Amino acid sequence: MNIRLARVQDQQGMQACNLQNLPENYTMKYYLYHIATWPALSYVAEDSKGRIVGYILAKMEEDLAEGEAPHGHVTSISVLRSYRRLGLAKKLMIQSQDAMATVYKAQYVSLHVRKSNRAALGLYKDTLGFEMKKIESKYYADGEDAYAMNLDLTA
Amino acid sequence: MSKLVAKRVLPSKEAALFREVLSLYETRQLKKGLKAADQILKKHPEHGETLAMKGLIVANMGRREEGLELAKKGVRYDLTSHIVWHVFGLCQKLEKNYDEALKSYTQALRFDRDNMNILRDAASLQCQLRLFDGLVDTRHTILRLRPNLRQNWVSLAVAYYLNGSPEEALRVLENYEGTLKNVPPYDVENSETALFHVTLLDALGQYQEALSFLDTNSKSRVIVDKTAVMEKRAHLLSKIQSADAEQAWRTLIDHNPDCTTYYHGYVSGKSTEDTLASLREFAAHIPRANAPKRLALDYASGDTFKDLASAYITAGITKGVPSLFADVKSLYKDPAKLEIIQTLLDDLPADDPSIHLWLQYFRAQHYSHLGQYDRALEILESSITHTPTLPELYTCRARTYKRAGDPYKAARSLEEARLLDGQDRFLNTKSAKYHLRAGLVEEAYLRLGMFTKKDAPSPQADLEDMQSLLYLIEDADAHAKLGKVNVALKKYVAIQKVFDEIEDDQYDFHGYSMRKFTVTAYLDLLSWADTLRSHPTFVKAAISASKIFVSVFDDPSIIAQLSQPAKSSSAEKKAQKKAKKAAQKQAEDAKKAAAKTDVEPEPVAPKDEDVDGLKLLGCSDPLEQAAKFLQPLVDLEIKNIDLWITVYDVAIRRGKKLQAVRALSRAHALDAEHPELHVRLVHLRKTVTEPVGDVFDEAADKLLPKELSLETFNSQYLQRHASEPLGVLAAARALHVLGLEFEETVFATLAPDVQLDARTALEAVAFLEKAKSARTEEYKAKCDERFELASVFKTREEQEKLRKEAVNIQIASLPDEVEV
Repeated sequence: MNIRLARVQDQQGMQACNLQNLPENYTMKYYLYHIATWPALSYVAEDSKGRIVGYILAKMEEDLAEGEAPHGHVTSISVLRSYRRLGLAKKLMIQSQDAMATVYKAQYVSLHVRKSNRAALGLYKDTLGFEMKKIESKYYADGEDAYAMNLDLTA
Repeated sequence: MSKLVAKRVLPSKEAALFREVLSLYETRQLKKGLKAADQILKKHPEHGETLAMKGLIVANMGRREEGLELAKKGVRYDLTSHIVWHVFGLCQKLEKNYDEALKSYTQALRFDRDNMNILRDAASLQCQLRLFDGLVDTRHTILRLRPNLRQNWVSLAVAYYLNGSPEEALRVLENYEGTLKNVPPYDVENSETALFHVTLLDALGQYQEALSFLDTNSKSRVIVDKTAVMEKRAHLLSKIQSADAEQAWRTLIDHNPDCTTYYHGYVSGKSTEDTLASLREFAAHIPRANAPKRLALDYASGDTFKDLASAYITAGITKGVPSLFADVKSLYKDPAKLEIIQTLLDDLPADDPSIHLWLQYFRAQHYSHLGQYDRALEILESSITHTPTLPELYTCRARTYKRAGDPYKAARSLEEARLLDGQDRFLNTKSAKYHLRAGLVEEAYLRLGMFTKKDAPSPQADLEDMQSLLYLIEDADAHAKLGKVNVALKKYVAIQKVFDEIEDDQYDFHGYSMRKFTVTAYLDLLSWADTLRSHPTFVKAAISASKIFVSVFDDPSIIAQLSQPAKSSSAEKKAQKKAKKAAQKQAEDAKKAAAKTDVEPEPVAPKDEDVDGLKLLGCSDPLEQAAKFLQPLVDLEIKNIDLWITVYDVAIRRGKKLQAVRALSRAHALDAEHPELHVRLVHLRKTVTEPVGDVFDEAADKLLPKELSLETFNSQYLQRHASEPLGVLAAARALHVLGLEFEETVFATLAPDVQLDARTALEAVAFLEKAKSARTEEYKAKCDERFELASVFKTREEQEKLRKEAVNIQIASLPDEVEV
C-alpha cells in the first residue's frame, strides 16, 4: 500500500471510498474545497492499481474564538474493511498531524465521532491517542450525539 | 444627456428603491426584491436595469426561462448600461452558458472598463473556458487598478503560466517579490507563492536555480511546507543526476516510510542486486514499514524471491491481514513467481491452529483467482464450518460463485456476510452490489436504504444526490441486463450529469484559489478537470448508453414494448408512496422555512418529467444523443478499444463514413486482432458498397485489403484464433453479418480445445438470442451441462425460481431494525 499526499486527482477515489464505507458522506465539491484550501493536510492510501483504499480528509479550524489556539480538524478518515490490520489509519493520521503542526502551527487536532460508532471510537482512543473532550448533543443530521475528541500536538 | 441615458435616470424615490433591489438580491431576500422591482416597473415599465434585475431574481427563484427573457428585455431597453449587461451575464452563467455570459461581460466592460466586480467575474469565466489569452489581459487590467493587492500579482503570473509563457510568469513573480517588505516567516500564502516560483524555474529547465531558491527559502522559513520542499528537492536532484539525490530520497523515506514513490526514487538507476540490498536495509531499519518488504518482491527472483515471499506471506497470514492476497496477486503475472507461491502454500502446515484460518482464506482466494472454483468452494465451506463468524470467508465465497456464473448464490453468500455485521457499510454496499448483479433490484434498494438519509425520497435519490458513481453504474447495468433499458439509460445519463456538476464545481475555485494563493493545487485542479471524463465510470456509461441508443435505432419496437404499463410489485408501490410523502414533506418544510426568514431556498431544480426514462429512450434523435455522450471521450482520444468500436457503431448508422473508418483505425492501432474489431471490419465492407472518396478508401484498404474476399478474411481470422472462444464467436458473428450459416461456428466454441469460460459462453447466448437462432436453447443446455456451478444457463423459469429463493431466505433472516 502506498501512503502519499492527496491531490485534486484523488478526490473521486476518496469520495468513492467514503461512500462505500462510512455513513457520513459529502459531495465532490467538499473534497475539492479541502484540498484547494489546505493542500498539505490530506493523505491517501492506494493499492498497486492506484485504487484509493483509505484516506484522511483534514483541514484547519477557520473560525477561531478570541485567544483560541490554532488547531486542525479531521473531517473524515476511513480505511476499507478489506484493508484493515495494516495500521493504515494510524499511518495516514501521523502524516496529516505532522503537516498540521509544521505548516500551520497547529497545537492540537480535533474530530467528531458518532456515539454509537464503537469501532471508530476504539481506533481514535486506543490506537491514535485521542481524548474525549465533550459530548455535542444532536451533532448529526439524524439527531445522534457526537463525541468531540482532541489530540495534543505539542507534546 | 443623451436620450438613452435620460431614460435610465430614475426619480429619487425609485432610485432609492432600485438600490434596495440590489441589496435585497445580495442578501438573497428574493421575494422582497421582486416586490420592490415590480413597484419601480409599475411607474417605469421600460426601465432596463430594473427589468434585468427582476429577471435575475426570478431566475434565482427557479423560473429560469422567464428570468432570462426579462433580462434580455432589460438589455434591449438600455443597450449602453453596464448593469444590464452584467446582470444578463449573471443569468447566462446561472444557465451554465459560460460562453454567452463572457460575451455579456465583455459588453458590460465596454461601458465600465474598470469595474472590479465585472473584471473578476470575467476572469473566472475565461479560466472556465480556458481562454488564457484573454485572461492575461483581464489580469493585467486588474493589477493595474489594484497593484497593492498581493493576489493580483500572483494571479497575473498564473495567467501567463497557463497561457504557455512561464518566463513572463517568472518575471511578474520576481517583480512582485522585489516589492515585498518585511514578510514574516511562517506566512502560508507567501510559502505557496514561493513554491509556485520553484515550479516555474522547474518548467523552464532552470534546475540549479530552482534548487538554490528552494534551499534559501526553506532555510529562511519562507516556505513552510516541509514535505513539499523535500519532494521538490529530491525530484530536482534526480533530474540533474546529482549524487545528493539519494540522500534526499532517504530523508523522505524516513519522513514517510510507506510511500512507494520515495523508494522508487531512491533505487532508480541501481542494479537489481543493489536495489534489493537497499530495500533489505530499509526493512531492517524501519521495521513498521511495509513498503520496502513488499517492493522487494517485485524486484527479486528465484531463490531470493522464494525466501522473501515466504517471509512476507507467512507474516501476513500469521497476523491475519485480510488484504494479503489482493496485495500479492500482481506477482502472479510472472509464472515462475506463481509456481513458487503455489509450492509455498502446499508446504505451509494447514493444521497449525495459529495460521489455519487465514491460510485457508488465502488459499481459497488463490484457487478462485486461478479459476479452480470447486477447490476454492471446498476450502471455504470447511472454513465456514470451522469459523462461521468471519465475513471475509463469505465475501470470498460470493466472489467465487460470481466468477463461476451463479449470481444468485453469490448474492446470498454476501448477504450472509452482511448479516454478521449489520453496522458495517462496506459489507452493506457489497451486498447491495451483488443483489444488483443478480437482478434483485428491489432487494438491493432495501439494503442501500439502511445507510442512506432517512428523509430522502428514496435510497436511490440520496445516492444520486451524493454523486455515488458506484451505485449509479451498478443500478444502470442491472436494469440494462434485465431489459429495462429505459431505466438503465436514465441512470447512465445521471452519471453524465454528475460529471457535468463536477466540471461546474471548478468555477468557484478560479477566484477562490487565487485569494488563498494555493496555486499548485489550483493548477492540478485545472488539468484534472480537463481530463475529468476519462474516468472509467464515465467511459463505461457513455459506451453502454450509446449501445442502448443504437439498439432502439435498429429496433424501435423496444420502446412500445417497454411503454406498456407493468404491474408494480408491492415493494415498488411502497417505495413510490414513501417517495411521494418525502417530497411533500420537503416542500412543506421549505415553505415553512421561507415563511420564517423570507430567505429563499437555493434555486430548485425543475421537476423530473421523465421518471422512467421512456421519453429519453423514445427521443427522435437517439444516434445524435449517443454521439453527444461519446464526444468528450473522442476529444480526449481515450485509449479504450470498446469506445472506438462504439463510436463506429454510432457513426456508421449516422452515415458518417469517414468518422466510422477513423474510429476503426483507432481501434486497430490499439489491438489489430480484437474480436469486436473483426466483426466491425466485415460490417464496414458489407455496409459501404458505394464509392466514398480517396481518404476513406485508403483508410479502409489499410484495415482490410480490397482484394481479399470477406469469406477468406473471416476464415483466416478464425484459423488464427481457433482456440480462443471470443475469436471463434467473432468469426460466427461475422458470418451472421454476411448472411451466412453461423450456428455451427458458435457451437465450435464448445469444442474441447477451446478454452470456453462462463462469461464468453453467456455472450454467445446473447448473440444467438439477438440473431433469433432456433438453436439457442440447445446451446444453453450444453453450457448448463458444462458449467456445473453456473446458474445463468438455466431456463428463464428456473432462474426466476432461483432468484425468488435467494430473496425468500434473506427476508426471513433480515435483522429486526430494518423496515421491510
